[in-house]
Amino acid sequence: METEFKADVFFHLTGKRRGFGLDTIERLNLLPALFARYRKLEKLRYDFPLVLVREDSGDTWVQSLSELFDSMLREIAGDANGDRLIRHGLRMEREIRTLLAQDTSGSFSALWDIAASQLSNSEDLFWDSIKRLSSLRKLDGEVVDCDKATPGRLFRYAWETVQRKKAHRFRERVNRLATKLSDILRAGFARSEEGRSPQMLRASVGSGYEQSFDFETMSRLLARSGSDGLTRERSRRVQWLLSVLQSQRFFPAQSGPEWRDEGAELYSFAFENCASAVEAYRERLPNMVELTKALAIADLEIEGRYEGSRHDAFFEEFGAENLDPSEAALFPDYLVHLNAHRLSAVEAATVAEALSASLPVKVLVQTDNIVAPSPLVDGQLAFGLRSSRIASSMIGGEIYVLQSSSSALFQLRDRIYRGMENSGPALFSVFSGASENTSHVPPYLAAAAAMESRAFPTFVYDPSAGRDWASRFSLEVNPQVEADWPLHDFSYEDEAHQRVPENYAFTLVDFLGCDRRYARDFAKVPRSAWEGDFLGVPELLNNETGTIHNRIPYVLMLDENDVLQKVIVDDKLIQEARHCREMWRSLQELAGIHNSHADRLLARERKAWEEQLRHEAEARGNGQMPAGRGTAPGLSTSIASPPSPPAELKTAPPSDEAYIETSRCTSCNECINLNKKMFAYNSEKQAFIADRDAGSYRQLVEAAESCPVSIIHPGKPRNPDEPGMEELVKRAAPFL
Amino acid sequence: MRDADRECLLSMYDERYALEDYQGGVPRWCTGCGNNAILTAVQRLCRDENLRPEKTVFVSGIGCSGRLPHYMKTYGFHGIHGRALPIAEGIKMARPDLHVFVSTGDGDCCSIGAAHWIHAIRYNMNMLVMLHDNEVYGLTKMQVSPTSPKGLRTNTTPKGAYLEPLQPLAVTLGVQNVSFVAQAVDWIPEALYEVISMGFHHKGLSFVRIVQRCPEWLPKQFDPWVRDPQKILLLSHERGLQISPALAKVYKNQEQHDPSNLSRGREIASLPDLLPVGILYRNPSVPCYEDLRKLTRLSSTEVIRAGLEAQLDKFTIRMTGQERNSQGSQ
Repeated sequence: METEFKADVFFHLTGKRRGFGLDTIERLNLLPALFARYRKLEKLRYDFPLVLVREDSGDTWVQSLSELFDSMLREIAGDANGDRLIRHGLRMEREIRTLLAQDTSGSFSALWDIAASQLSNSEDLFWDSIKRLSSLRKLDGEVVDCDKATPGRLFRYAWETVQRKKAHRFRERVNRLATKLSDILRAGFARSEEGRSPQMLRASVGSGYEQSFDFETMSRLLARSGSDGLTRERSRRVQWLLSVLQSQRFFPAQSGPEWRDEGAELYSFAFENCASAVEAYRERLPNMVELTKALAIADLEIEGRYEGSRHDAFFEEFGAENLDPSEAALFPDYLVHLNAHRLSAVEAATVAEALSASLPVKVLVQTDNIVAPSPLVDGQLAFGLRSSRIASSMIGGEIYVLQSSSSALFQLRDRIYRGMENSGPALFSVFSGASENTSHVPPYLAAAAAMESRAFPTFVYDPSAGRDWASRFSLEVNPQVEADWPLHDFSYEDEAHQRVPENYAFTLVDFLGCDRRYARDFAKVPRSAWEGDFLGVPELLNNETGTIHNRIPYVLMLDENDVLQKVIVDDKLIQEARHCREMWRSLQELAGIHNSHADRLLARERKAWEEQLRHEAEARGNGQMPAGRGTAPGLSTSIASPPSPPAELKTAPPSDEAYIETSRCTSCNECINLNKKMFAYNSEKQAFIADRDAGSYRQLVEAAESCPVSIIHPGKPRNPDEPGMEELVKRAAPFL
Repeated sequence: MRDADRECLLSMYDERYALEDYQGGVPRWCTGCGNNAILTAVQRLCRDENLRPEKTVFVSGIGCSGRLPHYMKTYGFHGIHGRALPIAEGIKMARPDLHVFVSTGDGDCCSIGAAHWIHAIRYNMNMLVMLHDNEVYGLTKMQVSPTSPKGLRTNTTPKGAYLEPLQPLAVTLGVQNVSFVAQAVDWIPEALYEVISMGFHHKGLSFVRIVQRCPEWLPKQFDPWVRDPQKILLLSHERGLQISPALAKVYKNQEQHDPSNLSRGREIASLPDLLPVGILYRNPSVPCYEDLRKLTRLSSTEVIRAGLEAQLDKFTIRMTGQERNSQGSQ
């Protein structure tokens, strides 16, 4: 018997290289094979960099640079020099990308100017193009590339945008209330004794016509008109309201960046940790309650509907417990920017507590490193342990939760804005991609790879979107959400210079391949040994029944010369990939993808349906007609019977008694004017016979004759001895 | 505090108005006048909608109809001849929170106020306009009106009116931006109430022509329609007037008319001999002028004063250079 030691099997099982034939990949800076196309990001047009659109220059709060250029270039599509303008426009865009890659920063217009001056000598007519293009440049704002600071800047900007709008709305409301309240005071003064004094009246006329009036008399006349000024109580209340509204510290009194200088300093709402945000919230709560109360009272007051005797008691009892989320939504939200790595357990608990208590906090948890080793079990991974766990443990309640890699932030811009705008708490968990362990990979790429590999899936849980999970929870931004792993077309050139197309699934193992800390879990297979018993990682992962033995899993990676390398993986990472897939699948279930309950239900229904079909087929075989095929159940084929005539109305009262068809009365006063006791109006101001005996039969007949709509029926006379009865009966006949 | 909470707070003390709360004085219209029916209908509407009197304005022009605001215990404005609509529009513009009602007559609206009528339809401001149409000038004792039928003998047309009458419904339905047109008659109070109630709830200008008897000057004018229910065409629809069984029993001549069907509405408006009652046309999507022109900033006293100053400064007389020089040399 011949025995051969297989180093690859040994490595797969133990993670240790023994014997010959396997190389370490440390310091090789290998990249996943699918990254081949993305080596030079600045040459590509993709979502980043982003422009944080300045409020006064556009409707949207964030725009991607390429979209910005596209919209500019669309406008010159039909131009005679269109081709040149487009070419130069795209050159400018590439130049701005390059500038950013070289760590230049600034606003779009500033970068535009730098790029223009750098390119100006490159070609004739370039200046001309720039001049044309500059005129089309409408939006401006800070330009942000994808790096460690991106999540912080982006979310802060979204938050600021929402707060600016809130401040605007608040100011509008307060200014309106303040104006109306001052009007009340002013009107009160004009009606007061002092306001009606001759001096005041003289002052209000002005010097030109002073001689034409007798202010003493005018003052006396006005005093006689009787209406007095405000009650002392109301005047004090209105003054109190004005002082509360004008001394608030939640919003600047003026729009724009300048803070109010007079009075108390404004509150700040951005925090580095949740505990201080909560503390600030608690400290400001009494002022918040007072301001809310003032707004409510002022609303009633300007409508003239506030009555101390009725409403004081309620407002005395008005406290923090009466504040509900929609009222809290008037006030600024507290922005807390946390870093997952510096997140202590206490702080994490505070975050969870603050979020579940529906405090108006918007928490951004940024993670730079999602695959840190677990602090509990040696050698095991902890996927974005803190941030991701916090995010996924918070979904399902009334908290807006968004988790995303920074690469998908632009796609999620509306969702981000919505989360900021939403009243109530929100939690944003973002992976920046800027880890020191993947420094040879641009952050954008690392972030995108984390999402592709399901290591950091993107999801949004929006409690305001509907009542059920189907409308609240969404995985939509993830690539190929239906699949375990996203599948990509991939082709390479083999040694015979032939193109080899392949489908390649991107798994967690590929993602870990770029992380230096996991280099020891990979081993490079020498070219000569490529034909061994290897199996792609996705195939191995898909093989859940375990029928494939003795095959060592591998991934394809690129070295620095863009040469493909086969790299085998130890079992530990395969276990991690399975674990990662399970987490992804449970998210899928929540999002209704391959939902096990639904699948079971579907299987049951399908079985029932097939059974029914089979029965019908059998019945047809027996020459019977299938019943009810082609019509929905419950619909009968016969023509619906005509609706039955409405139930007979109450028959008219016997004509012996006098009566009025009251509902047809036009309130014309004819009968009332004849006899107010006999005829009267009901609560609808329509006539009825109030007292038949309060008048004569003659009056009844006359009323019937004069009724313009002939609804008075005099009936038979009660007293046959009335004079002229014979004639009256004749006259009454048409009205019986 | 949420609006719902505020409503809840206000309802802590239930305030319901009664019909009497809207009744201001005894009407001085002639006994048997159709205006009484209209007055009762609007008073009932105010009560049923619980409209706060201080939030309600009745505006009128000149004529018998012009007296209606006097009999409402709400705000009122008895305007000048033909100008009820511009006044009402001004009120709505300045105080969009008020409920605005307009009472106008066939002379006030269709003759001297015709220009305002056409443009008020086009402006489509949210108010209820009731055209009290008795086809004659009653207040001034029987002169011909634009809606008097051809041949009607009046003090100004002793040989009979020469012209075909104006059809207020057809005219209104021909104006751009028309959003609600209906007709009622004073002698069917139930339908009258329902029609003006629908007009009240419609957002936009609701134009309701109310055929109104004048027992003093044209006592027999509407007899054919009052006496013969077959000559009334009741328009019913699930989005229009719902006809009660009691009404359906008397008025058997009915048509299912979809109020969004403008062309059929125009045909109905021009039917000879028949008097349609119900909603001829309704389009809730026409924008209201007061919404289009809503002020974006608060017109506080300071803003108004600054604006006036700026305008008046244009007329400041400045000395020319020559004048200044001559003054300086003195």
